[in-house]
Amino acid sequence: MAAASAIARQWEFKLPITSLAVNRNGNWVCATLGDGTARLLEAHDDTDNPKILALHNGISLSLKADTNPAAFISGGDDGKILSFDPTNEAPVLLAEHKHQWVDHVASSTDGAYRAYSIGKQVHLLNAQGEKHGNPLAHPSSIGGLAFSPNSKRLAASHYDGVSLWWTNAKETVPVKLTWKGSHLGTIWHPDGKILLTSLQENALHGWRMSDGNEMRMQGYAAKIHSMDFTVKGKYLATSGADQIICWPFFGGGPWGKTPLTLGGSDARLVTQVAAHPKDELIAAGYDDGMIVMTPMDGRMEVMIHPPVSEKGNAVVGLVWSTNGDCLFAALESGYLMLFTISSVQKAVAHAN
Amino acid sequence: MNQIPVTVLTGYLGAGKTTLLNRILSEPHGKKYAVIVNEFGEVGIDNDLIVGADEEIFEMNNGCICCTVRGDLIRVISGLMKRAQNFDGILIETTGLADPGPVAQTFFVDEDVAKRAKLDSIVTVVDAKHLPQRLKDSNEAEEQIAFADVILLNKTDLVSKEELKKVEHAIRRINAFAKIVYTERCKVELDQVLGLGSFDLNEILKHEPDFLGAQGHDHGHDHHHNHDHAHGEDCHDHECHNPEHHHEQHDHQHDSTITSVSLTAEKPIDSSKFENWMGDLRANKGPDLLRYKGILDIAGSNQRLVIQGVHMMMEGSNLAEWKVGVKRQSRLVFIGRKLDEKQLREGFRACAVT
Repeated sequence: MAAASAIARQWEFKLPITSLAVNRNGNWVCATLGDGTARLLEAHDDTDNPKILALHNGISLSLKADTNPAAFISGGDDGKILSFDPTNEAPVLLAEHKHQWVDHVASSTDGAYRAYSIGKQVHLLNAQGEKHGNPLAHPSSIGGLAFSPNSKRLAASHYDGVSLWWTNAKETVPVKLTWKGSHLGTIWHPDGKILLTSLQENALHGWRMSDGNEMRMQGYAAKIHSMDFTVKGKYLATSGADQIICWPFFGGGPWGKTPLTLGGSDARLVTQVAAHPKDELIAAGYDDGMIVMTPMDGRMEVMIHPPVSEKGNAVVGLVWSTNGDCLFAALESGYLMLFTISSVQKAVAHAN
Repeated sequence: MNQIPVTVLTGYLGAGKTTLLNRILSEPHGKKYAVIVNEFGEVGIDNDLIVGADEEIFEMNNGCICCTVRGDLIRVISGLMKRAQNFDGILIETTGLADPGPVAQTFFVDEDVAKRAKLDSIVTVVDAKHLPQRLKDSNEAEEQIAFADVILLNKTDLVSKEELKKVEHAIRRINAFAKIVYTERCKVELDQVLGLGSFDLNEILKHEPDFLGAQGHDHGHDHHHNHDHAHGEDCHDHECHNPEHHHEQHDHQHDSTITSVSLTAEKPIDSSKFENWMGDLRANKGPDLLRYKGILDIAGSNQRLVIQGVHMMMEGSNLAEWKVGVKRQSRLVFIGRKLDEKQLREGFRACAVT
């Protein structure tokens, strides 16, 4: 069912949006733009116009929630790693590597560590922004970084596998998880027992920590740019197909299981997924700007048209506020949309 | 969405790549380029964006043994495309030892790169004085010539007429189809090296004088971009299973000679026979097929089938109709290692309708 008025508010930045993130407090959302600036919005339904913040002399290549629960961390193609709190004026420069690109940033949930990668090297910083240990070397460029949920390990994906580092040990040799191919996005199951990566070859690969048992998921039409675990880690929702592909992580799964598929459409590809933080509900964005919200049982799919729907105007960012009341969706062309549970409910009631 | 043209500059160390790059950047063309280099320092014009990248080659884990791509290019081009500021083009300067194959295949294989950027041409700078020696002592020099759309035969002032003839002959034996431009200190008109569309099927058609019957066809671009890899696509059923490790070993044969083969056919080509033959060829000989292009007269079709490929990657499209009164003929050219001309000729002949 279509519900055009489900959009509570929308903004047009007239610049491409490169990424979207929510801070750990879940009350501010940040969109980075193609001119190196950021737009910051409070995550509630009568949010004000966005704050504008100059970040990079170039663009942000990676944006995440920072260790400080109010703040964000961004790495740019100007070699800068910045931390910024939306309620403060200026970003804090954590480190700078001239003439190099900071490809990935990450922070640990316990607030103790930040990590960033430059080519093949990963650097760790503590919460104060000081260097933590020596740079960690890898055989090839880093495709993704993720701290384990308990913050004790850092996974760095690269060609032919993943390197696993202990964050508080002085070791110089990582545990290697190997599988041929170029590993990009990296995600831990919320219980920390399984690590998964998305591959250049339109597939997922995973390892169970306890016994090294591997899993391989394929059948995707495109690279998997977005992955998210639904509440309690029940399903891993993924982009990269014409439906939201949700792999079950219960009842012995995902081994030998077929995935749950939601939000089907022949004409478009899922580019972003975001699981609701509290309920068994998933939101997805498509390569033409469409948004779908659907409960995991698929019984009440809501499809929302963006202000401008066309190929090449893909959803490039999708995040929920931590209380689950607000969903923000960013379009490549520069639109940011806010949906609230009440705006969606009203639109659905109206359509009925 | 416009795809940004990408020009790849290759050439052996000392041939004059950096001179060419600086020449391109310093001309008063008012255009803005992003330049991907391996080493900073020698290049630099304030107006342009210079990005450093390590040549990181990796094999795709898709069962296609020659499907190697440049991971650093995927990363850098994806990053460049996020910028609001647009570039008129991207120039990639490779190291002297680079194999252009993975660079070219990156534009076929990676969907994000292919969406935003397109390979325009591979330009190879060779040094007229030192090429004979380079061809003896390195396989890379030979590969770089083989992949080229344009060969800048540089330092022509340093050799005699006879030497130049010999060098030209040596180049032609490897690559019979590239455009050779003679230069001193890489002095060249930019339209000789930029904006050529050498990988564009429509341009291939336009620049093929034997078949050129009509004006430019800028209508009905029916690009299918069949990036099929000739090794059985993954079925699109989603499944999860326990993988079995398989390690494929392969070595490139670096000591074989690269040649060009040109095939023609007067009789119309049977579409399915041709598909099978090309499919087998790519599957069995893919690593040795460096570049190929063709314009084909397919039986039962009024349109010309234009194809081009690098190793196993091939794309093809039915383009402009044959002009009435023009003699229809099929032409197919290969540049590759260990090409068996006789076998290719017979194979192609067998594709004709009987």
